[in-house]
Amino acid sequence: MKTIKYSVILLLLIAAVLLPVFTDAYFISVAITILTFMTLSLSWDMMLRTGQLSFGTAGFFGLGGYTAVIISADLGVDPYTSIIIGGLVAGSIALVLGIAILKLREIYFAITTLALASVFSVIIRNLHKITGGPSGKIVYQTLFDYDSTKIYWLMLGIALGTIVISELFKRTRIHFAVDSIRADEVVAKSHGVDIFKYLIFVFVVTSMIQGVVGAAYAQQYGFVSPESTFSAHYLLLPISMALVGGIYSTIGPIVGAIILGLSSEYLKLMMPYGHLIIYGVIIVLVVLFIPRGVYGTIRDFISERKHR
Amino acid sequence: MDSILKVQNVTKHFGGLVAVNNVSLDIAKGEILGLIGPNGAGKTTLTNLISGIHWVNEGKIIFEDKDITLLPTHKRCRLGIARTFQIARPLKNMTVVENVMVGGLFGEKRTLRQARMEAEEICSRIGLEKLDTHFDKITVLDIKKIELARAMATNPRLIFLDEVMSGLNMDETRDMINTVRKLRDSGVTVCIIEHVMSVIRELTERVIVLDRGEIIAEGPYSEVSMQHNVISAYLGEDA
Amino acid sequence: MEKSAFWKKNSKLIYLITAIALLALWRPHAILYGIQRGSLYSLIGLPLSLTLGVVGIMNLAHGDFLSLGIYVSYMFFMNLGVDPLLSIVPVTLILFGVGVLVYKLTITKVLKSGHLNQLLLTFGISMILIESLNVIWTSRPRNVYVPYASSSMTIANFTFGTYELLYVLFAFAVLIGFQLFLKKTRLGQATYAVGQNPRGAKIVGINIGFVYLVVFGVSIAILGIVAGVMLPRSSIFPMVGAPYTMRSFCLVAMAGLGNLPGILISGIVLGIGEAIVQSIPGYSGWSDLVFFGVLIAVISIRSMRRLAL
Repeated sequence: MKTIKYSVILLLLIAAVLLPVFTDAYFISVAITILTFMTLSLSWDMMLRTGQLSFGTAGFFGLGGYTAVIISADLGVDPYTSIIIGGLVAGSIALVLGIAILKLREIYFAITTLALASVFSVIIRNLHKITGGPSGKIVYQTLFDYDSTKIYWLMLGIALGTIVISELFKRTRIHFAVDSIRADEVVAKSHGVDIFKYLIFVFVVTSMIQGVVGAAYAQQYGFVSPESTFSAHYLLLPISMALVGGIYSTIGPIVGAIILGLSSEYLKLMMPYGHLIIYGVIIVLVVLFIPRGVYGTIRDFISERKHR
Repeated sequence: MDSILKVQNVTKHFGGLVAVNNVSLDIAKGEILGLIGPNGAGKTTLTNLISGIHWVNEGKIIFEDKDITLLPTHKRCRLGIARTFQIARPLKNMTVVENVMVGGLFGEKRTLRQARMEAEEICSRIGLEKLDTHFDKITVLDIKKIELARAMATNPRLIFLDEVMSGLNMDETRDMINTVRKLRDSGVTVCIIEHVMSVIRELTERVIVLDRGEIIAEGPYSEVSMQHNVISAYLGEDA
Repeated sequence: MEKSAFWKKNSKLIYLITAIALLALWRPHAILYGIQRGSLYSLIGLPLSLTLGVVGIMNLAHGDFLSLGIYVSYMFFMNLGVDPLLSIVPVTLILFGVGVLVYKLTITKVLKSGHLNQLLLTFGISMILIESLNVIWTSRPRNVYVPYASSSMTIANFTFGTYELLYVLFAFAVLIGFQLFLKKTRLGQATYAVGQNPRGAKIVGINIGFVYLVVFGVSIAILGIVAGVMLPRSSIFPMVGAPYTMRSFCLVAMAGLGNLPGILISGIVLGIGEAIVQSIPGYSGWSDLVFFGVLIAVISIRSMRRLAL
């Protein structure tokens, strides 16, 4: 059973790596987008597992992007290092913010993170000497000089790294801490779990991931601007992907990203205006009717049959 | 008395309601202490104050000569204080054995493998089977046992058992009494909160009676149960 | 009440009013503007506070229902020539209907599902609203011109616009309306009971489902009133209402649940804070962050207090 599982994973991995060799530029760019959103979706889910809902994905994504472009353009840092620094900056802000607000949870945390994207936007608009203000900022040396195959591999690497971290979180004591916190905080802390420490840890790690992928995404084009970089897209899509695929799992967001990523290309052709409504509708429908998502429902169905 | 826990002049109020009023008590190392009193007397609140779910408004709590009054809950657990919950709170997103492992992993900082082995061992000791099942598939008694196993996994030196006997039949009660005795024999000090008086009579050497947030009696059960104020606390003034 | 007791009880309020009066002498336009904007925030925050306190749901789509109301009011003006202030009546009724519909179709299903699902649901509704408005009317900002919207008055060399004083008027009116409703009507008392203790209310026979329905519907309906009043002075675009969700929540955080007058006070304080920052040359763009700073401060202070106890 296990060898079959590992061989399937290996095959998928090889297929994913070789993808650019067999497809055209359009498909590669779709794949890059899917991988970007997959990473965001997975990192969102990782935070969700602690029981805290973060609406900050767009905020940290944009923060990473802006950091990377600014330090490349103004300080001459090469794009690759800038991606790492983008992640570190996002993580540091998450650390400071988390310490301030993670003692009060749920609604307070969710709403404060929801405000993040617009707060960063305002700050960026105001500091226009550094950030280029409302018109954005450009850096001339882009990642791999627009070579989409190499960009794809970078995004694949980031996505794979995120998958690994997500699985690590599920196979170590972190899984027990996070799940117990989510299930019942009183029980968790009565049995020795340092809730605050774990929440901050997960929040910082997931924000760093979002910063890294944001930096990589921005450096593809060498361009950031308050509207496009902090777009609600980067919040709406990852959440609907995780919900559709199945929350509280690694495979769920992956499946959701592929399903919604592919269908969004189709949707964009059918409904050039307003295809985003669909994502809102998806979120509402999933929350109301299939809260376990596609993968979750399949998984429950299988385990029901096993225990019959 | 060689005290493992000293509660000194502890008071707790919630808004206008005084739940625990200037309570002082000592728990001796290795004893089985009974904490009894009518409903609403403050027994669970007192337990919450000691285990760290609530902060005290006044007073001090000293555990093994360390002042833990301002220590957060998880640190008190790591120092060796454990408790079960009156209404059992199983972690519903985990299996039976995983529930118990939480105690070992964080109460005692074991590795995953050690925690698993220890959890399995504790479960077999108290007769908990079906280790890898989730919540919809186990009995109420099993849920109670999980409470106990999970607390035991934190390797406590002082454990509060909040109404573990309620809802058990005679055999199960006997079983639980033996488990508690074995627990004490392994070096754990036990404080047992109960309404089932036969259990108190059999297990405890000393009993503290709480009523309306205050201690109204202290001593062996046989003496305390005869005291007028204790009887009227349970049955009303004209009893 | 005895004179000295009166001063003591309301001392904080009196200090506040004195401080505001002094600031008004220093920067009269900013303070007036701040009071007006602040009243608008309170006006939008009061219904949110009611929903949060009684139904227990944080409606992330709150501001977007306001946007909807503004567009509906806009349609009444453009297509039927109805004056914005008059359109308050139909728009309020329409929004009440919308609120009831949304409640019955979606909110009832997540009442028992926990915060996560409720937040995700209202987030989805928010996105649907914004994107629908975008599709139907595009993101091009529109405007409505009514002559009385630019009326002004001059007192002792001080000239100021008078239209936005309506915000202050309506804010007080809604606050007093809520207080009267909660204290003097049967439904209001039932609502208050449900807000205090839902289970207890159910036991004494109050139909909490009905109370929730009315509260939710009314809170959206009030946004209809706000929409009509805001119409002549706002730029109209799909995201017009969104920033108010955040600010409303900030007010609830500042005032505390169940403290309706506190919302009015906090709103005005917040409005004045923003206006002062806005009047500082070179830093005016930062005024949008005042509410966020306040929110973080409130959360940090509150969490520290819990620890210190």
